[in-house]
Parts: sequence; structure tokens; C-alpha cells
Amino acid sequence: MLEVTGFSAGYQGNDVIRDVSFSVNEGEAVMIIGSNGAGKTTLFRSICGLSPTSSGSVRFNNLDITGMPAQRIVRLGLGFVPAERHLFPRMTVHEHLALGAYPQRPDPATMTIVFDLFPRLGERRRQHAGTMSGGEQQMLAVGRALMSQPRLLVLDEPTTGLAPKLAQEAYQALQVLRRQGLTLLVAEQQVPLAMAYTDRGYVLENGVVSLEGTSAELAADPRVRTAYLGVT
Amino acid sequence: MIYGLGGALNLAYGQMAVMSAMVVLFAMDAGVPALPAVGLGLLTGALLGLVLDLTIFRPVYRRQGEARVLLSLLLTLGLAFVVDGFLTWRIPFRGLTLNIGGGPIDILGVPMRRGSLLASAITILAFALLFAFFRTTALGRAVRSVIEDEQGARLVGVDPRRMLRLILIMSGFLAAIVAVTRAMVTPVTVTLGFEITVFALIVTVVGGLGSFPGALLAGVILGIVNSIAASYIGTFLSLIILLAAAGITILLRPSGLLGVRE
Amino acid sequence: MSDQAVSTEGTALIGGAERRSARSLGALFLPLLAAAALLAPVPLWLGDSRVLMGVALLGLAFACYTIGFNLIFGSTGQLFLCVGALAGIGGYGAVLLADRQGVPLLVSILLATVAAGLVGGLLSWIAVRRSLGVIFTGIITLIFALAFQNLLLGRGDLTGGESGLRIQSGSDSFLGDRILSYYAMLTLVLLFLLVHGLLRRSHFGWGFRALRDDEVAAELTGVNVARYRVIAALVGGAMLGLAGAVYAFSRGRISPSTFAFAQVDVVVLVMLAFGGIGTLLGPILGAIVFTIIDELLVELGQLRLVALGALILVLFLWVPRGIIPSLGSVFRKDH
Repeated sequence: MLEVTGFSAGYQGNDVIRDVSFSVNEGEAVMIIGSNGAGKTTLFRSICGLSPTSSGSVRFNNLDITGMPAQRIVRLGLGFVPAERHLFPRMTVHEHLALGAYPQRPDPATMTIVFDLFPRLGERRRQHAGTMSGGEQQMLAVGRALMSQPRLLVLDEPTTGLAPKLAQEAYQALQVLRRQGLTLLVAEQQVPLAMAYTDRGYVLENGVVSLEGTSAELAADPRVRTAYLGVT
Repeated sequence: MIYGLGGALNLAYGQMAVMSAMVVLFAMDAGVPALPAVGLGLLTGALLGLVLDLTIFRPVYRRQGEARVLLSLLLTLGLAFVVDGFLTWRIPFRGLTLNIGGGPIDILGVPMRRGSLLASAITILAFALLFAFFRTTALGRAVRSVIEDEQGARLVGVDPRRMLRLILIMSGFLAAIVAVTRAMVTPVTVTLGFEITVFALIVTVVGGLGSFPGALLAGVILGIVNSIAASYIGTFLSLIILLAAAGITILLRPSGLLGVRE
Repeated sequence: MSDQAVSTEGTALIGGAERRSARSLGALFLPLLAAAALLAPVPLWLGDSRVLMGVALLGLAFACYTIGFNLIFGSTGQLFLCVGALAGIGGYGAVLLADRQGVPLLVSILLATVAAGLVGGLLSWIAVRRSLGVIFTGIITLIFALAFQNLLLGRGDLTGGESGLRIQSGSDSFLGDRILSYYAMLTLVLLFLLVHGLLRRSHFGWGFRALRDDEVAAELTGVNVARYRVIAALVGGAMLGLAGAVYAFSRGRISPSTFAFAQVDVVVLVMLAFGGIGTLLGPILGAIVFTIIDELLVELGQLRLVALGALILVLFLWVPRGIIPSLGSVFRKDH
């Protein structure tokens, strides 16, 4: 469904990620793990059209979307929840969800799904995003992305700043979405959590893919165990 | 008064208003009845916004953050000079006055000039329409999303560039409304551009950058403060009081009267 | 066109231009000496003309203002739109002290300089405390500038209102002589350049630069962002006040328009942006070029404003980063 080949990107001529290739198949949940500064955020922002690409290609449903601006990529069915969330502080929950469906009218059925998934959002329809807690904002960011009825949802560090219990809940919510047929691509620092909920994974180190395999394989790999699972 | 939105400042706002006023003036000179002439003026304002967007705002919007503010400031300043200089050179001493016939009307015992009443009514109507547009339509929400967070807007499929263009067109249209309503009260002369810009700037900032109810509230409050101060203590101190009021508001509530602190 | 990706990087308008400059003392003094050598002989050439010397004096005053503004805005990113007002505090303050209170000339200049510095520092302190962004800092200082202007006009009994003041003090001192006052002003320009240059070289300079590059990172590495800003505004404000005071006495008369927003701030902004924001020599280059251009444009009469505006438009559409950084990058490409 998503095919990234020989992909490089960065800022002002310095490539932060170099020659990265990976793929996500329909119905899968794939994780990209790596330490802080490994380039996960740059990778995702460039794939989704928020940051420029230096070389390589991104294909989504066999369509070349390399360098396409984010607003067009979104309309093709690739939803992105960035780590910074990029919510609209002075707009209400309801307005976020309505905008999520832009330029279409918001689909009531999708909105029901979002409210079922995150009942907190339903209770706070009229609250401004700027006044909500970190966890609620994360729910809203995911909810907003879901409103465009994406086929692939890309999440960058969805658990940043969340308490362990909330992080667990976030992944349970993603699990629900998967069962409804959504394909997932997640970048995560909380590696154990991500491993439990994904099928396959790639390890990103200093801007290059250093390891790949199924989540179970990675969990058993001694290098991953020392570097990311805290096992010595 | 859409102004300073999208991370850019338009210091040629007042000049847009003055140019629209001059179009009305020339149309009326040419024998066009007042109402169509005003319509033409409003159209001019919107058109000016579009022209601005297609020309000097192109490099502005290619930048982000501070660089965008600065470049917009410099370029619109240059434009304001060109317009001001040209107008005072070609048509100095011209001013647009729209006389609304009839004597004063008594409202609650206070005599009010018809021109002022009509101007207020038009302003309130324009604000109501804007408010409705921004709150209830999908397009209005899309425009607001760009003001709030450009990248967030792109993530929901909104093209920021188009919305910024729409903002400038509306801004030009509103500048023309400002000019026309003002002409109903006092003459809009060719040298008024800078004053209109500064007042609009202060109102927007006091109300909260990008907040519409805030701008309305600030406009009303500053207007009242100004007229009360002017009638009791003279114009010189009233201006200082007005500026001080604006300054204090900004200091107490940096994000504006109705702004949300981030 | 509307589908074109908006580059998220954006071209920085500020900073980065002279990253490597002024490491050695020679690199600091050489341009200073060059500026001195270039400007020192001007009276030999123009000295006979009262009008042209007046223009040259104004040019130097603007060079001073622009350096002060550059220190505040270029180095620490605080958009102070009250350059004229701060200079006016210096100018009017010193003149009123000397003429009305009989304070000795140099003491009055000193007091007015301190006052302008304190006001600059106070404005900066407010902006820092309320963590105002560029736009808000700009607007609050603009409001201050307009209020100051109205105060000058309103207290006509003290300030002479719109027609201004004819200054009695100082006319018998060296500032009364047009050649000597030119050199006094030139000394200020060189002094300000030196102060700015030394500040950039000191650990303040590194702080400034870190601040420009990444405020958060600067904060994390222990650079006290707030303190740098306030100090820059204090020093810059004092520069503006001093220049305003000296200029007032040299010229012999002042009026509100000497320090008005449209006459000072706008010009200073253009000069600085032309020369290159954040660069050491940008202000002086911008001041020289624009003083000459402005003088040439006088012949156009009423079209002067149009020409000036058109020039600004063309300039910033083509070389938005300023002359010095643009030349710098051309130079680097060649090597």
C-alpha cells in the first residue's frame, strides 16, 4: 500500500535520513522504532508532504506521491498525525472533526465512530483544543485524521507526553481501528508497547534502516533488546 | 478588518481603503449614482486584495514565521509609500464625502447624525456576516484553520495558499467598507491611509490577532473610549489615553481581549 | 500554482550572514578603519555647503540610529518600532534640560542618554516578561512611539508643538560648528560600531547568535535569553538617545517630525534591511546609500515618496536578505 524506496530528506541540504526503504502492506500495522533524533519525524513529515524530499520515491496505492503537498496527499486517503499534533487552539472539538472531513461534509457515521472510540471527545464537543490536556489533544488529532476516512493512518509518536495508562489506551484504540480495516504506520519510542500491537517493524538509526523484521523477531534480537528494551 | 492574519502584516491596508474611496469619488464625478459607485468601490477593494496577493504577497507567503512578518512589513510599507506619494501628487486635497440626507434622528433623547447611524449599521452588518461565515461555513472554518495552524490545515486537506488569497481579498473588501462608512461621517482624504492602518492595527491587536469577536469588541470599546475622552479632555490627551488603553490591554492580555493563551 | 508545496524551511531573512566574522580583532577594526577613512574626508569636499553638510550630518545620525536598532532587532530579534521615540527622548530630553533647567550641555546629554536607555530596557523587559512575539513587540513599541509623538504635540507649552524648538544651548560649543559636529557624529558612529562589534565578539555575542539560531536551544544551554534581550535594548536605547541628543544640538532646532515614526523608524528599517539585518556594517552601508538616494530624490519633488516606495519594493523583491549577506553568498559561491 505504501512503498518507500531510496528515500532521503533533511533540512537545508543536510540529509537527516538517507536512502531509507520500507513498505507497508494493506491491513498491516508497521512500526518504525529508533531513539530520539534518529530521523523518524523527518521521515514521516517528508513522506506526508509537510517537509521537502531530497531524493527517492514514495508510492501510495501505486500512485507516486513524492514531493506532493500534504493537502493533496491527505485527500488521497493517507492520514497523518504528527508528533506536534498541529491542532487549532481556538477551535472547538466539533470544528476540528468537521474540518477533518474537508472539503467533504462531515460524515455522521464516521463522527460516531470517533466518539465511540474516544468518549472524552464526545463530552467536550464545544471545548477549545487549546484548553485540553495532552491526552485529549492526542485523541483529537487522531479523531481529526480519521474524519477524512483514510485507508492508511500514519502516526508519529502517538504516546509522547502520555501517562503509561493513557499510552496503553491509545494503542488499544488503534487496535480497534485496525480491526475495522485501517492500515497503520507508527513511529514510536516506547518500543515495548509498539511491539505488542504491530506486525512488523524497522529500526531507524542515525537516519538509516539498520534492522527489519516481524515484531516478534525484533523483540528477540539481542541488539534491539539492549538498545530499546532495556535488557542487558 | 481582517488584518495581520496568516502571519503577515499589511501596512498598505489604509491605502487600499483610500484607493477604494477614490474610485467611488471618480465614479461619482463621472455621474454614476452613489449606490453603484459605492458598489464599484467595494469591488475595487476586493480586486486590490487579489492583486496584492498575486504580486507582493507571493514571496511573503513563501516564507515562514518571523521572516514572513518582516518581509510583508517592508513590502507593504513600500507599496504604501508608492500609493500615498502618487495620490498626493496627482490628486492632492481630494476627499470622499458621502452625504446621507436628512436631519439628525433622536435616539433615546440623543440626537444622532443619519450618516453615523448608517455607518454603524453597515459595520455591524458586515461583522455579523463575517462572523456567520467564519463560524458556520466549511470554507470559513478552513480559513480559520490556516490562521490557527498552517501545517495542521494542510493535514486536513486545506490549501493554505488559497485561503490566504481569500483572506486578502476579503481584507481589501473590508478596507473598502471602512472607507465608505467613514466617508459617511468625515471626508476620506488621500492622506488618511496611514491613520486607518494604525487604527486597524491597534484594534486587531487589542482584540486578539485573528479573533473576530475580539476585533469587534475592541473596535467598539476603543471607539467609545476615544469619543468619551475626546469630548471631556480634548483630542490630544484622548489619543494618548486611547494608545495607553491599547497598550495596557496588550500587556494584561497579550493574546488579546478574547484570545486563548497557548 | 495553488498545489505547489509551500517550502517549510523558508529563506531566513535574518542572521547567518556573518557567522564567521569578527573573530580576530583585526577583522573588527579593519572595517571600522575603512568606514572612518571613507567618511572622514567628507567635510573637505562638502564643507562649504551648509545644506550638504546638514545632509551628511543627518546621514550619520541615521547611521547611529540604524546601528542601535540593529543591536536590538538584528541581534536579539526584538522589533522596536520606537527608534524615533527613543532618539526623541534623547533629543528633547537633553534640549529641555539644557535650555529650560540650565543643566550643562554634556551632563544633559548624558542624562538624556541614560533615560533613553532605561526606557528601551523597560520596553524590552515588558516584552520579555509577557513573552510577546515579534508582531506584538512591534505593535506595543509602535503604540509607545505614537503616544510619545502625541505627547510632544500636546505639550506644546514645553516642546513648542508642531513648529518645534530653536535650541539656545550648545550653539557656542563645538556642536555649534558644522564641521566639528560632523566629526562628533562620526565619532559616535564609529563608537557604536565598536561597541556592537565588541558585544558580538564577547560571550554576549555568542549568546545573541545562539538566540538567533534557536531560542529554545539557547535557553537549554544556559543562555539567559531574557537578560540578553533586555541588555541589548538598554545599550541600543542609550545609543539611540545619545545620537538623538547630539543630533539635536548639532542641528540647532528640533520638531516632532525630527523623531516621527514615518521620518525615522521607516527609514531606519529600510536602511537596515537594505544593508543586511544582523550584520556589523550593514547599517552604515544602508545609511550612506539611502541618504544619497534620498538626496537625489529631492529633485523629484512630490514624486520622491513614490520613487522611494518603488525602490523599497524592487529592493526587497530582488534582494530580500540585504546587500551584505547577498554579496557574501555570491562571494562564497565563487570560491
